Amino acid sequence: MSRISQTDIPFMKYRWYLLAVSMSLVGIAIFFLATRGLNFGTDFKGGVTLVVQFKNPLTEAQINDALQQDAQVHAVVQRFGEAKDNTFVVKSDIPQDKQEKYSQPLIQGLEKNFGAENVSILKEESVGPKVGKELRNQGIYAVIFAWIVILIYIGFRFDYYFAPGAIIALIHDVLISIGAFAVTGREVNLTVVAAMLTIIGYSINDTIIVFDRIREDLQRYKGMDLISLVDKSINETLMRTIITSLTVFFVSCVLFLRAEGDIASFGFAMIFGVITGTYSSVFIASPVFIFLKEHGHRFGMGKKTMAVGAKSFS
Amino acid sequence: MLGRYKNYIAVALTLLSIYLLVPTVFSFNQIRDASEKSGESLPWYVRLFPDKQINLGLDLRGGIYLELEVDVQGALAHRSEIIASTVTRYLNEKKIAFDQTGILPKTSIVSLILKNPSDLPAVKDYVRDSYGNNLVELSKPPLLVFRMPAGSPESYQSKFQEVVAWSREQKSVLDVQLRDQDIEVTLAKNATAEEVTSAFLAKFPSGMEATPLKAGLFYTQSEAYQKTLKDETLEQAVVTIRNRIDRFGVAEPNIRKLGDSRVVVELPGAQDPERAIALVKRSGKLEFKIVDDSVPPAQVQTLIDTARTENKIPEGFTEDINVQINEALKGKIPADSEIAFETQFDPISKKVTKGIPYLLKKKVDVSGEMLSNTQVKVEHNDPYVAFTLDSTGTKAFGDLTTANQGKRLAILLDGVVTKAPEIKTAITGGEAQITLGQGDYNSLLKEAQDLVLVLKEGALPARLTEATKTVIGPSLGKTSIDRGFHSTLLAALIVMVFMAVWYKGSGLLADLAVTLNVLFIFSALTLFGGTLTLPGVAGIVLTIGMAVDANVIILERIKEELAAGRSIKAAVDAGYSNGIRAVVDANMTTFFSGAILYYFGTGPVRGFAVTLMIGIATTLFTGVVLTRSVYEYILSRYKITKLSI
Repeated sequence: MSRISQTDIPFMKYRWYLLAVSMSLVGIAIFFLATRGLNFGTDFKGGVTLVVQFKNPLTEAQINDALQQDAQVHAVVQRFGEAKDNTFVVKSDIPQDKQEKYSQPLIQGLEKNFGAENVSILKEESVGPKVGKELRNQGIYAVIFAWIVILIYIGFRFDYYFAPGAIIALIHDVLISIGAFAVTGREVNLTVVAAMLTIIGYSINDTIIVFDRIREDLQRYKGMDLISLVDKSINETLMRTIITSLTVFFVSCVLFLRAEGDIASFGFAMIFGVITGTYSSVFIASPVFIFLKEHGHRFGMGKKTMAVGAKSFS
Repeated sequence: MLGRYKNYIAVALTLLSIYLLVPTVFSFNQIRDASEKSGESLPWYVRLFPDKQINLGLDLRGGIYLELEVDVQGALAHRSEIIASTVTRYLNEKKIAFDQTGILPKTSIVSLILKNPSDLPAVKDYVRDSYGNNLVELSKPPLLVFRMPAGSPESYQSKFQEVVAWSREQKSVLDVQLRDQDIEVTLAKNATAEEVTSAFLAKFPSGMEATPLKAGLFYTQSEAYQKTLKDETLEQAVVTIRNRIDRFGVAEPNIRKLGDSRVVVELPGAQDPERAIALVKRSGKLEFKIVDDSVPPAQVQTLIDTARTENKIPEGFTEDINVQINEALKGKIPADSEIAFETQFDPISKKVTKGIPYLLKKKVDVSGEMLSNTQVKVEHNDPYVAFTLDSTGTKAFGDLTTANQGKRLAILLDGVVTKAPEIKTAITGGEAQITLGQGDYNSLLKEAQDLVLVLKEGALPARLTEATKTVIGPSLGKTSIDRGFHSTLLAALIVMVFMAVWYKGSGLLADLAVTLNVLFIFSALTLFGGTLTLPGVAGIVLTIGMAVDANVIILERIKEELAAGRSIKAAVDAGYSNGIRAVVDANMTTFFSGAILYYFGTGPVRGFAVTLMIGIATTLFTGVVLTRSVYEYILSRYKITKLSI
């Protein structure tokens, strides 16, 4: 079944159309990020999260009512796990002045309503607003820092005709993936930032496979026109691009569908990351490379940096 | 590269990994704990294996994760207070007349206001000799003094209230104080005296007179000194907390500094989280202060009630609220006194029901640092804490009680009055006691034990506030483990089946590589003492997905070379030597992401970063080195005419 012969698809012919698709996806992502924003988790905005297990079956609404009445706190209640677990996640913001013991009213409210012996707190998490902001900034720095490091690495390992395309592709992938969180309103927390960094690390893989082949073919087929050469390289590596993406895609789907909470979010982000990562290595990174090769001299990219040294490890 | 020894190395590494993982798989720690309890010697097979097991993160086994913000500014101010009182002692000794000494409110500036400018050089010399470069003299006084026109104390007070109201709107004014006829204005950083003076006189023109300080000396701590003090404070906080936790008895606590003002406390599997957290956070500050009788108690209560309504201070008696009340009562109570509360609890709900206010002298003559021994005692079924003072403390306590006979002495614990008995006779024996609130015998006993522990280990060097807190019950940990491992297994299975179907024999070889990869990840985690967290498990799953990628890249290349008509051996060689470039580049970038994540992340996310990075190292080994040597072995041993790929 694995005998799929070498494809010959003229990818670069469609590059302007697909660029338009990408641009509109990124546009949608930015639109939602700007208008709806992200639903930050407790660790990023400060607040309290409780995971509570009850002895008796309850509904979200019952818990919410109890908290409204007794603790006078507005909380978001969500079921956690299966119905038979009777476990719920209760989230609430902390007003700045009450930070210290804020989980107390929540817990007391629950215990008073449902009886202390029926309530067991599986997890309690409280984050001060100051720390939340710090973590959020750190997350943003981490992502930007990763972009820069990879830009330098690709520039060093390949050359600076390749590097910008790789980075634009990465920015594209992260924007669309985080945009998916804005669109769906899924919670964004530290684990999601971890996913974004993994996407950055992973999505560059596909780009590298393609770039590595372009670099090789540039040496092998001197004089071939650039667009055909890039097409040839993409076609040659298409199978491995698809299969490597598929394996990570499987794993991400399992995490998203089978696991819970943070890990599911991680899987969700990775699914988008894998799809956009594969797509962008062909339709973003490669066209940018072609563009810089053809028009780079206008921005002061000298011909002499063209020297393509295939640095080998073996 | 490694030649024919590659095979032996691979086998040796595999065996080593299995050896390292045996204690984790068979829970040797449990056996070890059991034999420690029963006093029997360890079974021989346990002793054969290393005593390291994989560390499970808090999210997998339950426990407490606390990040505490250390009030380093407060510690700096406290140090300045100590310096000010040392200098004061010198002034008294040398009989140098002064108006006041201390620190300027809301700063850590040491302020020494002498009566005669002629004494300045001597004091400057003394400070330079004692503190060297640690203190820097301010060239411009950060304090302005305005004298009000002569009048009654009441008129001063009402005028001062106007000034307080004005000062709240001024960014360039940090604080104002009333001292008899004078109003003292502390300048904010970057504010100039001229600007504030003209603003003040424009607002209060009637007879206010700016009186320049003739003999004022002001010192700030140098930046280097502040840095040292901050580091010391943080270090001391860590040590104090560690000592408390060690006495409390939690297995494998992890207490460390985070950044320049935070302490992280990780207590895996702690049984009574609330008690442990209270123990960690408690300042443990014991102070003795004399009750100020100049304002009758009923009037103190009225003052507080009006202050609460006027300034919208919420109900309650916490430290923050206490600060707010004292701020609001400025000028209405003597400048050297402050308000503190004695709180009363409802014995059942443990909620604060009432707070009795006291007006206390600010000066602390005897404090917790002067304790020599503390212990729990029980009298009439009521546990209490008895303590003995050291020689300095005994003398100070004797002097204090002799000088203040008939007055009341308040015993404060963490800023809250626990008791304020009348001093009937001078106490020179250096012994005293703290009685606890109401409650049943067992909870009081626990409280007394915790208090003794805190007093014995000493007070924290600064106030701590919770920045973040995570408490995870052990049962959540268990469910997480199950779900996490199930999804890991499932993901691994899907990937492996896919590889076997797609690449047949070569796919099976890749599967073998991936299996060994996971084995190596776990053993590396054990070896380096890394912590396995739930995101870490996800990291391993992801590594499985990426580890086969290395194989896919190489296998596809081999296929390509075969299609180009090369011999099997040539194709395998070309596949590896050409594929390795892309594999290394791809893995390096992911490794960078992992390193960045490790640097920026906390707790569980760090666990993910660690497994990701270890996974990449093992992937390069299994995917590139190991599988290749297997191919070479097979190709050299057997006549293969068709590669199963």
